[in-house]
Amino acid sequence: MLELITFSTLNGVLYGMLLFMMASGLTLIFSMMGVLNFAHASFYMIGAYFGFEISRRIGFWPGFIVAPLLVGAIGALVERYGLRRVHKYGHVAELLFTFGLAFIIEELVQMFWGKLPVDYRVPPSLDFVAFRLFDTTYPAYRMFMLATAVAMFVFLFLVLKRTRVGLIIQAALTHPSMVAMLGHDVPRVFMAVFGVGAALAGLAGVIAGPALVTQPSMAALLGPILFVVIVVGGLGSLAGAFVASLLIGLVQTFAVAINASLADVIGPSADIFGDLGRVTVAQIAPVIPYLLLVLVLVFRPTGLLGNRES
Amino acid sequence: MSTALKLTDLRKSFGPTEIIRGLNLEVKQGERHAIIGPNGAGKSTMFHLVSGRIHPTSGTVELKGEDITGLQPFEINRRGLSRSFQVTNIFPKLTVFENIRCGVLWALGYRYSFWRFIDNLKDANARAEEVMDLIGLSARHETPAGILTYAEQRALEIGITIAGGADVIMLDEPTAGMSHSETDHAVALIRKISEGRTLVMVEHDMSVVFGLADRISVLVYGQIIASDTPQAIRANKAVREAYLGEEASA
Amino acid sequence: MSATVRTLLAFALFAVALAIMPKIFPSGTALTMMSLMGVAIVFALSYNMLLGQTGLLSFGHAVYYGLAGFAAIHAMNWVVRNKIGVSLPFIPIVGAVAGLFFGIVFGSISTRRAGTVFAMISLGLGELVVAITLIMRGVFGGEEGISANRAKLEPFFGFKFGPQIEVYYLIAVWCFICVAAMYALTRTPFGRMCNAVRDNPERAEFVGYSTQRVRFIAFCLSALFAGVAGALGAITFELVNAQALSAQQSGLVLLMSYVGGVGHFFGPIIGAVLITLLQISLSDITKAWLLYFGLMFIFVVMFWPGGIAGFIDQHRPIVRSGRFGRLLPSYSALALPVAGIALGVIGIIELAHHQLVEAASEGSKMKLFGIATDSATVAPWLALVALLAVAGLVFRAIWPKAAEAFATANAAARGAAP
Repeated sequence: MLELITFSTLNGVLYGMLLFMMASGLTLIFSMMGVLNFAHASFYMIGAYFGFEISRRIGFWPGFIVAPLLVGAIGALVERYGLRRVHKYGHVAELLFTFGLAFIIEELVQMFWGKLPVDYRVPPSLDFVAFRLFDTTYPAYRMFMLATAVAMFVFLFLVLKRTRVGLIIQAALTHPSMVAMLGHDVPRVFMAVFGVGAALAGLAGVIAGPALVTQPSMAALLGPILFVVIVVGGLGSLAGAFVASLLIGLVQTFAVAINASLADVIGPSADIFGDLGRVTVAQIAPVIPYLLLVLVLVFRPTGLLGNRES
Repeated sequence: MSTALKLTDLRKSFGPTEIIRGLNLEVKQGERHAIIGPNGAGKSTMFHLVSGRIHPTSGTVELKGEDITGLQPFEINRRGLSRSFQVTNIFPKLTVFENIRCGVLWALGYRYSFWRFIDNLKDANARAEEVMDLIGLSARHETPAGILTYAEQRALEIGITIAGGADVIMLDEPTAGMSHSETDHAVALIRKISEGRTLVMVEHDMSVVFGLADRISVLVYGQIIASDTPQAIRANKAVREAYLGEEASA
Repeated sequence: MSATVRTLLAFALFAVALAIMPKIFPSGTALTMMSLMGVAIVFALSYNMLLGQTGLLSFGHAVYYGLAGFAAIHAMNWVVRNKIGVSLPFIPIVGAVAGLFFGIVFGSISTRRAGTVFAMISLGLGELVVAITLIMRGVFGGEEGISANRAKLEPFFGFKFGPQIEVYYLIAVWCFICVAAMYALTRTPFGRMCNAVRDNPERAEFVGYSTQRVRFIAFCLSALFAGVAGALGAITFELVNAQALSAQQSGLVLLMSYVGGVGHFFGPIIGAVLITLLQISLSDITKAWLLYFGLMFIFVVMFWPGGIAGFIDQHRPIVRSGRFGRLLPSYSALALPVAGIALGVIGIIELAHHQLVEAASEGSKMKLFGIATDSATVAPWLALVALLAVAGLVFRAIWPKAAEAFATANAAARGAAP
């Protein structure tokens, strides 16, 4: 039991931190530009595939550095030549643009790397057991992922709290319309934020790829959960996104680990629930984020830490 | 005469800043009441508080004796208070006629009706036509509201506001940004539409204010410092010092 | 001609078209395709009640289509099992009720918010429902889904709806009813207030309307019609599975409405017909058809936000004032470079697709536009890139002229109009 709790907590925090690496970029982009970037999870996927391709040809570490930069560059180009064009048609058009983009990226990834998962391996230098608790081992690679995610978190925190750019971004979070009045080149700021957000998602993909499964559906599986994170946390609230990321990470990880069903708990009388009575908690794990979304919307429509209405 | 609108010790803070600081105001039924005051005094905020766009931190708003504090804008509108906006706020893709008709529908009891053809609603269409005439936009019947000239949009703004037949009308700077002749037009229009109704109006143009208002309240720094007849306000020393003097000499 | 007469005439034409289509295209494939088009028209129009009329962007509209489809298929099986004398043409009513029911349930949550948040919630609810269908295998039949036999229901005036032609007419009648009903809805006080809420939600609140209530009612009615479409789909396929309520299905209805044009009532009809046609024919011609769908969507979003209906509408005053002829020279001059660009893009995608996906198993030799070539050699790539570059440059050179011609004709047409 103790080991289950320890490992689930570790994995939950890890998953939560990965979610936050993406949700933070998504929140920044949404708050500043008003664009809900549907393709954000696609950048995560591209990151994983670029990481795979580079690690296959050169090695994991070059990929670790280069792949996020490439993804960031792609993100900046998308903003410059795509989003900026549709900006004049309003937010719905921008959202639809990223929606179409996500679709195209998935198709292209399938074309280049096939529909099946690719063999993206943990680098040998990190392929050992970090520690052992009772009978279960914990891989070093996961510790590395956690360290990277935490490092990114600290980096983001410092940039936002200690630099001029960070101040502008913070101002933009609460008063998006005011940024232009601060006399900054708004299009450049947008392009940079979009690029950095994409690069962060790409980095998450590079490090998550070997541990999870690198496959063309990975973006479509993760994307909706990211939206849940930023709505549950409260739109425009980085702190909210952080809390919601960890919450969903932990809840989902624990749910997966619990192999009990309603029938196990209340006995045969669970039959009145039909299929639902026999479903294990682990099986409903994928549903949990969405149930959380519904609950939050019913009881706290602005999200856990949000105060913006739209 | 009974009271149309009564604000008691109204307060509103944004973060640590208190914008409306214990505001008291009474507007009698049938009165044309102008609110004047320097920029940033809180005139628009007061309008938002009364019409339900934002909610006060404390204090009460009473409409014809009923407490409407904290109600939603549509609930307040249904109780007979209708307002216009300082920044033109219309339905840009609908035609001028449809803009007006949107203002008429609820008041005539059509609510969310989806079982009646709108073009067959004789009373709603007749009322909308009347308002079109009144605001002088009959020639622009089928024009999308978004492509009207500024002065026409301001007239439409007033048209939407009065279309529902509310008996308390609040106009937020109805003549702002207009030329002299346009202003004269607007004043005539406001005089016409406010007949038999209560009018509360924020206005910067003193000739408009003194030409129209039966009563004037002076809002300075979140409080009403004087509320009286135009003659008395003109004579009021505190008002002159706080506000009118600079305006009048400018 | 008054507006009412014109509308009635248009609907009469629509009815005649629905009636005679099977005479013009009598083959089995055509009948199936036209049946699917009818289903898609109802579905896309119901979607546009949200997006085009009320300004609500949903990524989960297939939920109502799919759940109603399941309700309909269960109803069909139940009717057959218990030998109840209900015949097939009444099954869409079950779909409508189911759609309305789920619209009320989910709409009460999602329409609390508007704009982007509404879009995100619709996506989340969609994922939620998909996940639940995979858990409740008894009701939703897991991967295979639930099937039924439509011919076993009580015959309707002798029709058993075994042959596709009978199903086509069943769908055509329902399609006509739904299109007329949805059009009528836009002409009611509620329909107008939907537009008002789309244009300026704040002002709508200040003329006495609760925008949340308007959104909620629009959502429920839209789910009702999506439910009819779902039931019609279930009748056509005699099978419903999780695909029917998936995110792909939601994306497809968005594609139909947007490409057709959300700004006009009839836009989604054009989109539904076109996309259904492409969906069935393209998937036979090329394996990269989904990529083409994505590119087409992006293209419309970036360069043609009014969709096809918007394009037609832009030219209506010009055609009416008899000035369309003046546009023809510059438009036909554009045709060649446009064809060149299209050919170049398609060629490169096909080459890339062949080289990346099929070459490993089938070898790099292929046929492109009927010409034998080899995707592993440089020549076809060079040729296509050159074609694309030349066509692109020519297009850029003559595009301003066409745009100018349009602007002149448009200004003249509008100036001439009363």
